[in-house]
Order: sequence, then structure tokens, then C-alpha cells
Amino acid sequence: MAAEGGIFTFAPAIAVLPFVSFLIALSAGRYMPKKGAFAGIAATGGSLLLSLLMVAQVASGHAHHMELYTWVGGEGVPFELTFGILLDQLSTLMLVIVSTIAFLVHVFSLGYMNDEGEPGLPRYYAELGLFTASMLAFVFSDNILMAFMFFELVGLCSYLLIGFWFRRSGPPSAAKKAFLVTRFGDYFFLIGVVGIFATFGTGMFGGPGVEESFPVLAEEAMSAMAAGEAMPEAVTTFFGLSPGAWFGVLGLLVLGGVMGKSAQFPFHTWLPDAMEGPTPVSALIHAATMVAAGVYLVARMYGFYALLPTLLAIIAFVGGFTALFAATMGVVKDEIKQVLAYSTISQYGYIMLGLGGGGYVAGVFHLTTHAFFKALLFLGAGSVIIAMHHNEDMWEMGGLKDRMPVTYYAFLSGSLALAGIVPFSGFWSKDEVLYETLVHGLGGSPILLGAYLMGIVAVFFTGFYTFRMVLLTFHGDPRSDLAEDPEPVRWNVKIPLAILGTLAAVVGVINLVPVHAVVGAVPEFLHDWLFHGPETLNGAHYEELTEQFAGYSAGAIPGLGGLGTLFASAGVSLAVALAGSALALGLYRGPDPAEHTEKLGALKTVLYNNYYQDEYQVWLAQDLTEGTVAGTAKRFDDGVVDGLVNRVSDVSLVSGYFLRRVQTGIVSNYAALITLGLVVLLVAFGIMGGWFGGVFA
Amino acid sequence: MMIEALIGLCLLGAGVVMFTPDRYAAKVAFGWSLLPLALSGLMLLNFDGTGNALLGGTLAFEEQFTWITLGPYDLSWHVGLDGISMPLVALSTLLTSLAILSAWTPITKRQNQFYGLVLLLEASLVGVFAALDFFLYFVFWEAVLIPMYFLVGIWGGARRKYAAIKFFVYTNIASLVLFIGFFGLVFGLGDSISSLDLPEIAQALRAGELGSLAGGLIGPELLALSAFVAMFIGFGVKVPIVPFHTWLPDAHVEAPTPISVLLAGVLLKMGTYALLRFNFTMLPEVARSLAVPIAALAVISVIYGALLALGQSDLKRVVAYSSVSSMGYVILGLVAYTSYGLGGATFQMVSHGLISGLMFACVGVIYNVTHTREIGDMAGIAERMPLTVGAFVAGAFAYAGLPLMAGFAAEFFIFVGAFQSTVIAGNGMAVMTALAMFGIVIVAGYLLWAMQRSLFGPFEFDGDYDVTRAARHDVVPLVVLIIVIIALGTFPDDTFFRMITDAVGPLVDGGPAEAAIGSGGGSS
Repeated sequence: MAAEGGIFTFAPAIAVLPFVSFLIALSAGRYMPKKGAFAGIAATGGSLLLSLLMVAQVASGHAHHMELYTWVGGEGVPFELTFGILLDQLSTLMLVIVSTIAFLVHVFSLGYMNDEGEPGLPRYYAELGLFTASMLAFVFSDNILMAFMFFELVGLCSYLLIGFWFRRSGPPSAAKKAFLVTRFGDYFFLIGVVGIFATFGTGMFGGPGVEESFPVLAEEAMSAMAAGEAMPEAVTTFFGLSPGAWFGVLGLLVLGGVMGKSAQFPFHTWLPDAMEGPTPVSALIHAATMVAAGVYLVARMYGFYALLPTLLAIIAFVGGFTALFAATMGVVKDEIKQVLAYSTISQYGYIMLGLGGGGYVAGVFHLTTHAFFKALLFLGAGSVIIAMHHNEDMWEMGGLKDRMPVTYYAFLSGSLALAGIVPFSGFWSKDEVLYETLVHGLGGSPILLGAYLMGIVAVFFTGFYTFRMVLLTFHGDPRSDLAEDPEPVRWNVKIPLAILGTLAAVVGVINLVPVHAVVGAVPEFLHDWLFHGPETLNGAHYEELTEQFAGYSAGAIPGLGGLGTLFASAGVSLAVALAGSALALGLYRGPDPAEHTEKLGALKTVLYNNYYQDEYQVWLAQDLTEGTVAGTAKRFDDGVVDGLVNRVSDVSLVSGYFLRRVQTGIVSNYAALITLGLVVLLVAFGIMGGWFGGVFA
Repeated sequence: MMIEALIGLCLLGAGVVMFTPDRYAAKVAFGWSLLPLALSGLMLLNFDGTGNALLGGTLAFEEQFTWITLGPYDLSWHVGLDGISMPLVALSTLLTSLAILSAWTPITKRQNQFYGLVLLLEASLVGVFAALDFFLYFVFWEAVLIPMYFLVGIWGGARRKYAAIKFFVYTNIASLVLFIGFFGLVFGLGDSISSLDLPEIAQALRAGELGSLAGGLIGPELLALSAFVAMFIGFGVKVPIVPFHTWLPDAHVEAPTPISVLLAGVLLKMGTYALLRFNFTMLPEVARSLAVPIAALAVISVIYGALLALGQSDLKRVVAYSSVSSMGYVILGLVAYTSYGLGGATFQMVSHGLISGLMFACVGVIYNVTHTREIGDMAGIAERMPLTVGAFVAGAFAYAGLPLMAGFAAEFFIFVGAFQSTVIAGNGMAVMTALAMFGIVIVAGYLLWAMQRSLFGPFEFDGDYDVTRAARHDVVPLVVLIIVIIALGTFPDDTFFRMITDAVGPLVDGGPAEAAIGSGGGSS
């Protein structure tokens, strides 16, 4: 194994290292300097190095698949359930992203948690380690069951970390909400996983050396049906549905988990509340772990979704709608982290839009750039929050630009990326998402144009809320004493910001689509990378599938041609982003900007209340389920079911006798009674059965 | 002689502890309970059984000799273990030791009697799972009631007598019903059996030897159906299956916590174990023909039990009702008749035993310190008792089916097994499974809700007690259980699942029932 696997042999260590740091911090953290932070930094640093080695290895040779162990197997069961590692272009890329951000978050935590003298730090670092380990294991999972399991562990860790400050009343409530909302999505996901195993007998994603994988089996089944042949023997559909319809049901069920974790409408409500957690945790959750897990899963099993045009359209519409919906809520928020929370929901909407719109590379690209700029923005906000002594209200800030320049320029870089201003990374990836959706919409799937339209409108709001946030936080005059004299931050805050600030600016170079179109010498690195994946797990294959099964083909704006459409798309999204940003500049420039929210009229209340989404969900969970339904069940059970039992036993002679005896308090009599009862029973049956026939005869 | 040694050790321990002075009783009992625990561990390591105990498998530690001859029937001492009973014996011995340890703090009066009865209970429990002769089985089955009755009736809470009587009446009526049902079968088999040996009866029934009763008035089909229903109700009370569950919360709330650990951890499994051994092994064709109502009852138990748990304000009642929910999954897995379904159901018996044991132990430790179990009476106690609350959180997530813990493994097996089952035509079991799975949302709901209100938030407590760390010996059982739960969830095959699937295998193949049932045969 060691010989043939080479450096891949060490792949499990990518997840094991942070797991070890979890154990160390948990057991010995309180005796250690920095309470376990160094263990976490070392572990995530190690994971990062190993992940980079894996990328190099995948780049130089081939993808790799290894079996770890058999969870359930043997002769007694119809199919095995296993754990294994799949290292291909997609998973190694994601491993690098996750471990980079986890590493920087650990470093940043020294400034945010240790320097602030928080209690409970060993627990914090233990949970952070477990969080990172779970996410890394999720990313390299080779089958959907293993993915589900670590998906759930990611959910557990975010519950623990959001609720880290358990002594307050807000965080435990927010943690519970995050877990429950995502659990509701995971309910559907789990049915999907169960259904996939029952349908295909395997949950493998595919990869080198994997004989059977469910996306390939699904493809074979669909092809067979299209050609009028018999389905592959390994595939069983349910409820008499055709393969296409049944796979659609399965895909939709799995999508439930995706939408829960990636906070897509209507499962987005947990995410803004999750801001109750420590800010470094928010950075990790939003950029690289919990929320990223959902969309990553869609990318991971894209070969399955690519077969199902309805599902792709649903993904695109959910994404487009969520992008717009969340962006509109972001424009009225007062707290810096709230703005970022809604921007996260919105940005993951774009990733979904890209994946649903047939832009596999675009979706992964935006996932990558977003990971860096969103981690940056959260850590930047964390730096501001340290400076402001944990006051998060932007109306109390202002003028921080000159007092904390490193934070400002890093934050600005992230904001330009978020708003999608050329040449920052977000521009390239968001543009590609919109472009892919547009051309496929113009091609054979006009329905995608609706989703595209929502995406493009959301660009305007994104530009607006981003620069509103930047202006209120950093520009103008300080609006409070805290902002006048902010607490300085140290190297452990500034270095992660500087690194991420640079990355957010330049990481777009990995896929400069419009540039490549003009100057062929500039490569589309990411495109080439993802197109060279293993046989059934690469972009080229997905492109064929979407074309063959979903009828996706690239169209162009009439009269512009391919290149013209590309530049028109880029031009429109840039213009809209600039317009949104300009409006924010116009409204919130100047030393003491006004709120301007009154201009929204009645809409203002609706936006402040987040379209009343929380209200109806809390009503569903608390008032209806817990209050009415559970209360009724309890009354029914106490009154009717148990009441009947008591009524019967009251009038029954036997128990009436027992109950009177109870009141005499002589408990020991019952032993005799019980024994007597048993003996009578046995004898009665003995006589009936003629056991004693020999005796009495 | 291993099983005899195991039962003998427990009985001897009971005798020794009864006569130990009160002040040493707790420690002697715990020390002694480690002996059967070690022995069952040894048995687990040397386990060499294959196949199903009732269907011609090779048993581990088997002993058989004729005891009494009554009329046409030989009653024998027949014990042995297969892959289904071995895990349950191991579970019983582990939970007994941990229950004894968790009794150190709360049990202060008549300690020698208390611990003596607990060891007596252990002997009976091992007997129930090891017995392979109906007479022997029934003696152990009833013998469990006696120590249980006193343990609840003497050391219980304020309404202990009501609860003890209710428990007793309920389960004894149930025993009567199942006894009648079983003997209906015995008489129906007539001359084709010569003993009350369970393997003999099971094989005769599966070979279609069942005749008529009452001079042909009750034909074989009607007899099989009636017997099935009677045994289903009789064992179902023990499980408990809705609507026979109302004894459970009362018994749990009034029982001292260590006894709740055993009640939920092992006693409930007597019901599901018996359902598997009797109903689902002996009368598979009836079980399949009743698949719709049985699966419906399972779904109702899961959802209704979970909703009831959601409606409680007493931590112990929350955990008690959630057992109803978890046991519903077992029924769903049994009726599926697939290897994952039956295996998962058995694995769930062990898994739920450990997890509910952990939860009750946690509630007990909190009660030892705060003297209350009302969710509204306390808040933020995490600050004062971090380890206990940590264990509570781990237990709650185990209950909620967190992967890599035993509960997820068991439930996932059940879900997969039930989903692909064909016992209901038109993939009806897939629908039933999907409905039952909603339990995983509700369980997370009520446990997280209870934790948020009682464990977290700003510390508040109105009682007169000093809320402080629990004693070390109170925390040990919690830690041990968490480790075992994680081990089972991470390595299900290497612990119990492989031996379980081996033992349920002959049931999956369906035997003579396969062809007879129109609505669908066995699975793969």
C-alpha cells in the first residue's frame, strides 16, 4: 500500500491531524501555553502542507482512491458500507481551501480569543479542531454515506461553536436553531442517502479503481431507458417510477441537505442567528466549512445532477432567488456581521446558480474565491470588533480607516471582491457564474434566463450593501468614543488579514475566462484542472452529460456571437455592480451619513424583519409542533390512553385488591402474590395441556 | 458451563451482598459485579456461535439436559448464545455494573438489599437472553419482575407504589396474554413436538406442522394469527409499543435512577428480543401478512413517542418517552425482514440500551446535585457541572443519531433495511420508513430544547442545594458509556453487527414462508 500509494498514503493524516489536536486540546489544553491553540495551528498547518502535496501529486499524476476500512460488510448484508478517500482535482482543491482557512482562523483566534482573555479556551480549540477534521473528512469522502456522516459532524461542531458562549442566553438558542434547521434539511438528505443505497446498492461517487458508482449507474440506466433497453441489473427504481423520475426524487431529497447547510431559501434563517458565535468561527463556518459543505456536495455528485434537467433548473432557481432575496435584506442591516451573514447566503445562492446553470467550473470557481474573500471579510470584521470592544453596530463606528489601516485595506480588498469589481477575484468568478447561466439560457434552456435575471439584479444590491458597510465602518467621522480610540490589534490578527487580503485580490487569476478568450496564451487554470479529473468525475464529462441529458448548449446574444456575449455579460454585471456601489457612495459618503432607510417606506419594516421568515418558522416549530401538537398528544396520552388504563384498573377486582393492599404499606406481601400468580398460571396451563395426565390418570 | 457460571456468579453475589453490612454494600456489590462483567467479556472474546439459535445454528456455550418430564413434554435446562443474544448478555452485565456505580450517591437506605436485588435482576436478565426452553425462559421472564417490583416500590420516588403496581399489573397481564398465545401454538403443534424447546417449536412451526385446535373449530391459520396477536400484545407491552406504553413513564419517573438505567437499558429489550425470537422467527408468514399494521404501529410509536417527549417538562420523562420512539424503530426493522432491517433492529436494542442508560445516568447525576428534574427549575448549570453537562450533550447527540455513535449506525441500518423491504406491496415500506425517519428531527428538537433551557444560558437555580461538580464515581459510568457508544458506532461490524447479521441471516431467507405470501417474498 505504502509503495503504490506514495505520498497518498499520508492522505488520512489530513483529517487525522486536526482530530488529534481536538484530543490534545480536550484532554491537556488547559495545561498548555495558549490553551491548545498551538496544537491546532500545528495540526491545520500540517493539513495544509499535506493538502498542497496532494494537489501536486494529483497534478503530476492521477487522482487516487483508497479504501480506509469497511464499516459494515461480510456475507450477511446485501451491500457493503465503507469508508474511503477520494483524492481528485475537486477534493484536493477543496482540501487546500479548507485547511488554509482553518489555519488562518486558528492564528487569528490567538488575537480574538486568547488576547481577549476568554475562558473555556481548551474547549474552543478542541471544537475548532474537530470542526476542521470533520470538514476535511467530508471533503475527501469517497461515498455519500461517509459524506453524510461527516456532514452531520460538521453540523454538531457548528452547534457547539455557535453556542460557545453558553453562559449567555442568545448563543445556545442560535446554536439550537442552526442545528434544527439544518437537521430538517438533513432529514430529506438521509432519506436520499438511504434511497440511493436501496436503488443502486452503492453510494460511491466514482474515481480511479471504483467499479460501481451511483452517478455512473444512473447514467447507464437513463441511457438504457432512452435506447429502449433493459435497465442495468444493479439498479432498482421505486414506486414504479421511470429512472429519470425516481432519480429526480432522490436528487431532490439530497438537495434538502444541501439547502439546509448552504442556507438556501427557505432554510436560510439559521445563518444570521449563527452570528452569536465567536467571529473566527463565523469565518470558518461561512467560508470553508458548514455552509460550503452543501454546495460542495452538489459539485461532488455533479455527474448525478447533470442527468436531471429539472433538478438543475431547481438548483439554478433556488440559487438565483436566494442570491437576490438575501441581498435585499443585507441593505438595511445595522450590524457589520449581519450584513456579512446575508451576503454569505446571497453568495452561496450564486454558487448554486452556477451549478444549476450548467457552470460546474464556474460554481467551483466562485466557491473558491468566495472562501477567501468571505473569510477575509469576517476576520476583518473580527478585527474591527476587537478594536470596538465587541460593539458590532456600524452606526457607532466610522473613521476607522486611518486608525487601523491594515484592516481597512484588507477589508477593502475583500469588499471589492464581494461586490464584483474588476480585477478583484469575485468579479471573475461571479461573472463566470452569470455568463454560464446566460449562455445556457440562450441556448436550449430559456428557463434559466429567469434565474439569470435574479442573479443580475442581486449584483446591484450586493454592490450597494457592500459599500454601505465599508463606508459606515471605515469612512466619515468616528461616531462614538470607541471608534475614536479603537483598541489596537496585534500581528496575529494582521497577518491572516494581509494574506487573505492578497488572495482575495488575486485569486481570480486561476480562471480568467474573458482574458483567455482574447489572449489564448493566458490559461484558464481551474478549467483545465477540473477538466482533467478522473474519467467520470471531470468537467468534460459533466459537459457532455448536461448536453446529452439536460439539453444544455451554449447560445449567444443574437448578433453578438460567442465572444461578444462573453464581454456583454461581463460588461453588464460590472456595470450593475458599479451602479450599486455608486449609489451607496452617493448616500453614505461624507463625515456623518444619514440612515436613508425611511425612503424605503413600508418596505423598510419588511426588510428589517427579514420578510417575516423567522416568524413563521418559529411558529411552525414552537407554537404549532411543540405547543399545539405535542401538547395535544400529551393531553391525549394522559387523559385518554393512560386514563383508560387507570379506569380499567380501578374497577377491576384484581388491581382494586392490589391498590388497597398498597395502602396498607406491606410491600413484601407482593412477592408471595407474584409467585403465587405465576404458579397458578403454570398449573392451570399444565392441567389444560395434560402435563399432569400421568399423575391424575 | 459459562452461562451457568455467569448466572451463578450473579446469584452468589446477590446472596453475599444481602448479608454485607450497609456501609460496605455499595463497594462490595460494584466489585462483585465486575466478575460477571469480566466473564461476559471473556465469553464475547471466545464467542464461536454461527447461525440462528432457533433455526439450526451452532450455539456458543450451549448446555442442554432434561430437567422434568411433564406429560408429553420434556422440560429441559437449555441455554446457549447466538449472535443475537450474546450482545444483549454483554449489554446486561455492563449496564448492571454501571448502574451499581451510579447508585452510590442516591441510594442511602437499605443498601445491602438494594444491591442484592440488582444482582438478582442481573441473573434473571442473563437467563432471559440465554434460555432456549420455554419453561426456563418464562421462569426467568417472570423472575425479572420480582426484583424490579421491589426496586421501584421501595427505593422509588413519591408515587413509587402506584408506579410499582402499575408496572406489575401491566406486565403480568401481558405475561398472561402471551402465555395463552404461546400455549395455543404448543397445543396446535400436537404430537409434532415432544418438548418446550424453543428451537424445536420454531422449526416445527416454520415447517408448517401447526394443526387445529378445539376439534377443528380453530384452523391453523386462525390459530397462528391469534397466537401472533396475543404474543405481539404480550411482548409489546414490555417494549413498549403504543398504545401499551403508559406504564413506562410512571415506572421511570418513580424508579431510582440506577434502576431506570436498567429498565430502559435492558428490560425493554426483553420485549423486542422476545418479539424477534417468537413472533418474527416462529410465525414469519403471519408477520408478513400483518406487515402494514405492524409497520404502522412502529411509525406511530416513533412519531407519537417523540411528540410526547416534546411535550414533557421533566427531564426524566423526556428521556422515558423517547424510549418509546426509539423502540418503534426496532419494530420497523424487524418487520422489514431484510438483513439490514433485522440486524439494525438488534443493533438498536444494544445501542439504545447504552444511550438511554447514559441519558438516565446523566439525569440522575443532575438530580443528585439539584434535587429536581424540572426543566424550568434550573438554567445554565453547565457552568457548575461541566463534565456532566458534557456527557449529557454527548448522550443527547447520540440519541439524535449523530454519526460515529451507536444510535446512528443502528438507525441507518434499520432505515436502509426497511426502505428496500418488499413486505408491503408497492414499496409501502419505503413510505413507512420515510415517515418514521421524521423522528430524527423531533428527537433533536426536544433534546436540544431541553438542553438550551436547563443546561445553558445564565445560571439560575432556586433550590437550597449547592450546585457543584458531581462526584467522580458518578461521572465514571457516563464516560465509559460514551466510549462504548462511540466504539460501537465507529466499528459496528467488529463489535456486534457481524455476529448479528450472521444470526439473523436464516430469517432473511424466509424459509417456507417465502413462497406462500403473495404480497412479496423476502429480500435479496
